[in-house]
Amino acid sequence: MSKEQVVEKDFMVYRCKSCGRKFYPKHDRCPYCKATEFEEVKAGDTCTLITYTKLYVLPEGIEMPPLTLGIVDFGEGIRALGQIMTDDPKIGMKLKPVWGFLRKIGGEDYYGFKFKPIEE
Amino acid sequence: MRDVAIIGVGMTKFGRLEGKDLMDLLAEASLNAMKDANVENKEIDAVYVGNMLSAAINHQTAIASSLVDRISIFPAAADKVENGPASGGSAVKNGFLAVASGVYDLVLVVGGEKMTSADTDVLTDYIATMTHPTAEYVHGITLPALAAMLMRIYMQRYGVTERHIAMVAVKNHKNGMKNPYAHIHREITIEGAMQSVMISDPLRLYYTCPISDGAAAVILCPADKAEEYRDKPVKIIGVGQATDVQCVHEREDPAVLKSCRIAAEKAYKMAGITPKDIDVAEVHDAFEILELVESEDVGLFEKGKAHLAVEKGVTEIDGEMPINPSGGLKARGHPVGATGVAQIVELVWQLRGEAGERQIKKDAKRALACNFGGFGNNTVIHILEAMWK
Repeated sequence: MSKEQVVEKDFMVYRCKSCGRKFYPKHDRCPYCKATEFEEVKAGDTCTLITYTKLYVLPEGIEMPPLTLGIVDFGEGIRALGQIMTDDPKIGMKLKPVWGFLRKIGGEDYYGFKFKPIEE
Repeated sequence: MRDVAIIGVGMTKFGRLEGKDLMDLLAEASLNAMKDANVENKEIDAVYVGNMLSAAINHQTAIASSLVDRISIFPAAADKVENGPASGGSAVKNGFLAVASGVYDLVLVVGGEKMTSADTDVLTDYIATMTHPTAEYVHGITLPALAAMLMRIYMQRYGVTERHIAMVAVKNHKNGMKNPYAHIHREITIEGAMQSVMISDPLRLYYTCPISDGAAAVILCPADKAEEYRDKPVKIIGVGQATDVQCVHEREDPAVLKSCRIAAEKAYKMAGITPKDIDVAEVHDAFEILELVESEDVGLFEKGKAHLAVEKGVTEIDGEMPINPSGGLKARGHPVGATGVAQIVELVWQLRGEAGERQIKKDAKRALACNFGGFGNNTVIHILEAMWK
């Protein structure tokens, strides 16, 4: 997979088998009811941008400033932080999770979820 | 539980301190505090050293034992305390618990950091490792980026403008000008701040603390013994610490610092007072937005209203609720492990009336220090009271 390419992939979160609430990332005990059994479920196809920044002073392993980072909301109390694939972010814009290259850490390539605007 | 008093304080100048290494700084601050407490010839039972990055950037570990060796306080018990940017506050808390429990009678707490010898990008990366490894760090997050996202969501919700953020920076630089220990001695303007380099939109360089070297120290003893050492002892009447989920996105409300709220509630409860009883505060403005958010979440202002207090000059040295008379992290500087101790050193000077040109105008009896770790997932609050007033 090239570094520019992204593929569609389900964003999975954890659902507590005891209280039914969902969360991301993983906790070893449910943050709400302290139970310890979970199942992975899909978060949803779309999310909404609730805040963002364009980072000009980049950490090592990311080369092209600015890097747009944001927090997205999938509903049901599920939010996630990640790279936002636009130079023109707006609070409230709709995005979808995709999988692709994130950065290098210690010379090694890291891949993961990022968020791409949905064309309207 | 015994009451605990601060009988001595001391610090080094903060800044880019060429020719001084981490141990030089810790030793200098410690000896200054020991002299201030008149305990140079007494046996120190224990030392707690607040520090975050010695292993990462100074190639030095087990630094509490090294400090004992430097200042010859053998056979004192010695521990390093690491809690990110709240390492200093956590170290003071550990010293407080040790004296309160009755185990130790004379305790040295020192926080310090030697940061300017490391490259900025390496340092920023080490500090970013405080964030969640898979849900935050890997995406390229830095602490300035988290502060910028908080700033955007907070400003939009409460109608706060960039000008208000700049006003906080201007106030802190003005205070720092009067503090001989401060890293930055430069007066700035609102316009100048608003034109400074963009670090992480909307966070600019002048809304961010500098990278500093420095150390600060306090000496603790049981309150009923304090006057045997010196006059004007300051009692620690409240200590509160609380944690929250690590990921900012998972917080109940990303515009609220819940760990700060709960830590403050615990500290007020222990002290048996309310926010109205606080006369002066030092809060952890690693980014100027945090001065507004923390001063609200510790209860000094109503949520979303701190910027109005800034507009009216309430938080100035001569205001009704002076905040960061030292210049705060913004101007005094932020040698990470030193900060939580330096806040308490400043407040002791303010309560004693020894803060020189930056002495607050009101006669203060009680003071609050808010030291904030991670990006707000671990906060330590101390409430101090002048014992002679």
